[in-house]
Amino acid sequence: MQKVQKIYKVINNKKLCQQFFHLCLKPVSAIPEIKPGQFIHIKVSQGLEPVFRRPFSVARAGKNVEVIYEVVGKGTEILSQKKPGEILDVLGPLGNSFCKPPKGVKQVVMIGGGVGVAPLLALSDVLKGRGYEMVLLYGGRIKGHTFNMRTFCKNGCKVYVATEDGSVGIKGRVDKLYTKIKANAKETFIYTCGPRPMMASVAAFARKHGVQGQVSCEEVMACGVGTCLGCAIETRSGYKTVCDDGPVFDINEIF
Amino acid sequence: MNLSIKIGKTKFPNPVTVASGTFGWKEKYYRLADVKKLGAIVPKTITLHAQKGNPPPRIHETPAGMLNAIGIENAGADAFIQEKIPMYKKLKVPLIVSVSAHSEKDFIQLIEKFNGVKGLGALELNLSCPNLKKKTLVAQDPKATHRIVKAVKKRAKMPIIAKLSPNVTDITKIAEAAEDAGADGLSMINTLAGMAIDVKTRKPVLGNVTGGLSGPAVRPVALNIVYRAAQKVNIPIIAMGGIATANDALEFLIAGASMVAVGTMNFINPSAPLEVLAGIKKYMREQKIKDIQKLIGSIRT
Repeated sequence: MQKVQKIYKVINNKKLCQQFFHLCLKPVSAIPEIKPGQFIHIKVSQGLEPVFRRPFSVARAGKNVEVIYEVVGKGTEILSQKKPGEILDVLGPLGNSFCKPPKGVKQVVMIGGGVGVAPLLALSDVLKGRGYEMVLLYGGRIKGHTFNMRTFCKNGCKVYVATEDGSVGIKGRVDKLYTKIKANAKETFIYTCGPRPMMASVAAFARKHGVQGQVSCEEVMACGVGTCLGCAIETRSGYKTVCDDGPVFDINEIF
Repeated sequence: MNLSIKIGKTKFPNPVTVASGTFGWKEKYYRLADVKKLGAIVPKTITLHAQKGNPPPRIHETPAGMLNAIGIENAGADAFIQEKIPMYKKLKVPLIVSVSAHSEKDFIQLIEKFNGVKGLGALELNLSCPNLKKKTLVAQDPKATHRIVKAVKKRAKMPIIAKLSPNVTDITKIAEAAEDAGADGLSMINTLAGMAIDVKTRKPVLGNVTGGLSGPAVRPVALNIVYRAAQKVNIPIIAMGGIATANDALEFLIAGASMVAVGTMNFINPSAPLEVLAGIKKYMREQKIKDIQKLIGSIRT
């Protein structure tokens, strides 16, 4: 009944690093254009266990649709066992997308924590070659959360990494990398996705310097299309759905 | 093959509908040609005034089901009538509007508002939402059920369906009270009261502390309740509770339900309602049943 319900074929499903997987899917029939920030809602098993679909931000979209995920529970555990050639029932693309950087912006700062970096990759694919100075600040807890960032580099991003245990890049949280931000209220724009405390810290930094930006949020979801109202998030203008009003919000709407 | 069902004076083209709060039809996501194949559409419950809903988290996945405590977030009756009704009317599918209120007075005001809307298929009185911080639900008390249904029925221009709760000792008492008060039909079941606790934090998972359980996990419970009520009342029953497939739906029809609604499974498999409809037709062809009335309540005991 939904035109967004499609069959995708698994092309590849490999470990990207110790903790993350990289899933590459091919839609069996035509799907709408995927914009950076949008997500796909995957039924990981044909049965009722688990019952919910699992939402994943799209990391890259072209002929194939790619996601980056971490095994955190039974849904992602089952997903990690999918082999090339298997088919998946997918809703998508769903949700809104990142805005273009406002006029006058020269430095685009992407701040990702863990697999939250995924939609930022899709964003860098779209923003590359448009004359922005692009910076990616990436934070992981441990070495197993870091992976080769060459796709960001190829897209023209300067990449800086911090790990909490200091195994890769600077030791500490991603806020140790804020010195790389020019923080000019008119010329800087921030996009962030990651754990909530990290995004709260980014929001505090942005507010302090008068910099604008957007956050991509995550909540447990059932329908993915704005019907069940289960993924409500508190915003400055009341409850909104992460799946349909979001997942991308103005940074000041949420924090 | 005759699939049509009558509730009060309203005729529904087929017995498959959707449970309140589980179905959207935004054009960007849905194929409207498919939506038009439904026997009825039931939007999310509307209250007299806007309600902002419960604090998150509002949902939690459980084995073959989910807990929810949304808290009937909605824009209120006036906004619904102005902004949503015209769009629903375009679909030309019978519309069953689900309404809820905290008092008899509010219910009456709601009815009066909807009396002004032409062409409604029916009004479903949600007497059984477990997420509104009330000690007792209307549908847990036969007297209160009787009083509200009677007051509404006296004024309503459209058929009235009472949506009942499974959280009762004896469903037949409530079902009979609703029938006696003049209800044209019953919807059952609403969600079962439930909860979940995060053992790491020792806090309830849901922002509302408790919630309602739905999905395939509750189906046998729903079937038993529908079966028991159908033994006692003569008004049509719209059955819901974990229906995912045509086989599930057929169980309810055989137990005595006149219509079946897909609820939670709309979130998981948006094609479920039409798969259910196709499966019912296939079963009737195979069983050489020409009229759905011959299937309804055909249980052999």
